[in-house]
Amino acid sequence: MRQFQQKLFCSVPEWVASGTRTLARIGNNQLHYQVGKGRIAPDRGSCRRWILSVPSSPSSHHERDGIQCGSQVLRGPTLHDLAHFRSILSRPDRSIITTLTDEASQRQLSSDSRAEELVRYNQDWTGEYRGSSSLVLRPTNTSEVSSILRYCHENFIGVVPQGGNTGLCGGATPLHDEVIISLEGMNTIYGIDGQSGILTCDAGAILENLHSFANERGYLFPLDIGAKGSCQIGGNVSTNAGGQYFFRFGGLHGTVMGLEVVLPDGRVMHLNMENVDDYGTIQQSKRIASHRKDNTGYDLKHLFIGAEGTIGMITKVSIACPALPTSKNVSLLVCDSYCNVLTVLKTAKEELGEIMSAFELMDYNTLSFVFAHGFGGNESGSRLLHDLLQSESSIQEPERLRPLYLLVETQGSNSVDDASKMDTFLTRLLDSETIINGFLAQDERQLKEMWTIRESCNPCVAQAGCVYKFDVSIPIEDYMEVAWEVKKELSVSMKDVDLIACVWGHVNDGNAHINIVTPGRFKKESAIDKNIEAAVFDSVLKRSGSISAEHGLGQKKNEALGRIKGENVLDVMAQIKGLFDPHGIMNPGKYLPKKT
Amino acid sequence: MKILVPIKRVIDYAIKIRVDPTKGAQGVQLSNVKMSMNPFCEIAIEEAIRLKEKTTAEVVAVSIGPKQCTETLRTALAMGADRGIHIETKADVRGDYIDMQPWGIATLLKGVVEREGGVDLVLLGKQSIDSDCGQTGTLLAGLLNAPQATFASKVDRGDDGSFTVERETDSGTEVIKLKPSAMPAIITCDLRLNTPRYPTMPNIMKAKKKPVQTISLEDMVKELGLNLDEVLTPKNEVIEVYEPPPRKEGEMVGDVMELLAKLKEKGLVA
Repeated sequence: MRQFQQKLFCSVPEWVASGTRTLARIGNNQLHYQVGKGRIAPDRGSCRRWILSVPSSPSSHHERDGIQCGSQVLRGPTLHDLAHFRSILSRPDRSIITTLTDEASQRQLSSDSRAEELVRYNQDWTGEYRGSSSLVLRPTNTSEVSSILRYCHENFIGVVPQGGNTGLCGGATPLHDEVIISLEGMNTIYGIDGQSGILTCDAGAILENLHSFANERGYLFPLDIGAKGSCQIGGNVSTNAGGQYFFRFGGLHGTVMGLEVVLPDGRVMHLNMENVDDYGTIQQSKRIASHRKDNTGYDLKHLFIGAEGTIGMITKVSIACPALPTSKNVSLLVCDSYCNVLTVLKTAKEELGEIMSAFELMDYNTLSFVFAHGFGGNESGSRLLHDLLQSESSIQEPERLRPLYLLVETQGSNSVDDASKMDTFLTRLLDSETIINGFLAQDERQLKEMWTIRESCNPCVAQAGCVYKFDVSIPIEDYMEVAWEVKKELSVSMKDVDLIACVWGHVNDGNAHINIVTPGRFKKESAIDKNIEAAVFDSVLKRSGSISAEHGLGQKKNEALGRIKGENVLDVMAQIKGLFDPHGIMNPGKYLPKKT
Repeated sequence: MKILVPIKRVIDYAIKIRVDPTKGAQGVQLSNVKMSMNPFCEIAIEEAIRLKEKTTAEVVAVSIGPKQCTETLRTALAMGADRGIHIETKADVRGDYIDMQPWGIATLLKGVVEREGGVDLVLLGKQSIDSDCGQTGTLLAGLLNAPQATFASKVDRGDDGSFTVERETDSGTEVIKLKPSAMPAIITCDLRLNTPRYPTMPNIMKAKKKPVQTISLEDMVKELGLNLDEVLTPKNEVIEVYEPPPRKEGEMVGDVMELLAKLKEKGLVA
């Protein structure tokens, strides 16, 4: 104790000891750390700032989980911080949800219901990850985000940016008691430029609302994923979400034109999005100032696409939208082998060419779960599923003999031409016996039901048992092989565990969602998890694939990054993190591997 | 058994209708809008095919409308109908109550029934979703002096050629028997009758080879000895078509107290 006091000189006005923690109060800032484990030293850059540092042995949970930058200890929010946040937010009663008990929070709700409300933010939707944050902030504009981050930066408070909380890798779930900054209060859509088709909105705008906004104005929002009803565009950009339109309309690195980003120290950067103020008002001219081309300086926006909130927070997004295709056709096809799937793909490229907008695969196991658990009484959809599964009379063994299902969609500008292309495509497939059955949507309802089947894969498989999820990129010719190989290996190494491998995904991108289910067992078991992960990663890496195609790293795969990236690459990544976030407050313990 | 199923091509039920207020009665926009088979007609086709699968029957689908109606007929053929008759109207003739109305359609259908000969059953949708008249089936029964059952939710055929029909009424279901007669039984189908099937690829391909007879409205009228004006001139005039008023944007409140304050302010609670 004495040793630390000496290092703090005499400018520390008071010490308060509480349990194993010691709180230091410097001006208005509180610092705390575990007694006897750490060191506190003045920040060389500022006479007002203090840096707490700790020896390499584990002392606080944050350090245990490895903060990559510097050796500072982060802390959770205190009552004092809460008071500060109340003073900087324009409508604190709506913007703050906390289990910290001060007068104002007691007035709002009982502590039980506040704790209940926090669960929604502390837990991811799969239920796999759970944090223990005591404070959620829901800022309403960029300057509030900036004030919050600046304060957290100065006070070494860990921060977890959160969108719709639909991620699959726990990237938006706190590891411990970080402050959650939810962008759900920032959901304004500012407009879409009539000439360029560039749409500008707040990062908290929900994807489905962007779809309808763009559609009503004759544009197509170029990102579509299963979670569109609740996910937010800021989260989509931060995780570089892919989805079924990736192949046709390109990824977010291509469609995002501009970003507004708040850096951890509170500075706001406008990246190809000038003249937009905090409230989205476009100044100087009435045009939204994102350009399709901008070759001035380092293109920093790309660093934030897929950075999972580790170097800053995205607060506004502008995205280029193509004109809304007026004609849409969807067919569901049944193949009896993966070899035929490849022929269908080749034929689709030849016959459908530029109008093909989706080429999605689902395997037999997946569709059986959709049939068993899905469709909430929708008779017509169940009937279609029934007919699809009946296409092959009995379940074949081994699994590679079971049928595979494809959803092929076209989007174009001329319904007569598109229908005729689809017709030629399907005729060729039937004549050559590449498909054993298939359905072509005759109206909009059938079309939507076909997509509902595809979008039900994830939730329906999750209802069957605990799902060990993998999102990988592999060579197209090995698309199914990886799952089969993993299944075969696991049936030897873990023969007492009942496992079912379900595969679906975007064949054309080589992006497979491999889901290993333990039917009836709903609890994730770490031994099983480890075995499956090792088998999947080995099989993928053996083929020079990517272990995360579109879901990101979060807290699930950050450690694996160390295995697959070279030392130089990891070093530069760590340097970038340190440059933007010197105190390591942004989404701590995720994305990058722990420092060894 | 021969079953005749009149089907109508309408704006797809999942598509948002756009109304151009400057066009008056013609305001509903039809150009570049996705059109599909009227959902009730789809149920009628499905029921006809199920009856055919139970016994043996020839299912003839009839559609009256512009050139693209052949696509709708192909859907019916892909589902399992045996052949199609297309009475083709000129491109600018609107079927959504503006030009062609139930009287004209029923008059034509009566002619088709007689021209075909030996029709045992005419299955129709209970209404079309564009004009929502629900008159064609009943007018046809009247013109033919044929037994009819509307809003069917179950159809069974007796060995004697009768049809037992469960119909949906406001107070529950009612079961009636259509006695065998010299005229075909007329049944209009309600939503609960069945769930239409998705046509399979092989059947879609087979449907391309099934016969569809296309006759222009003018030729058909001549052949049936009808008066073109009687068929084409609307009996009623549409005065105005307008969109429902847009819903006013809601306001988000932060908590219950604020909600109560707002409600009090508007005088909705004391």
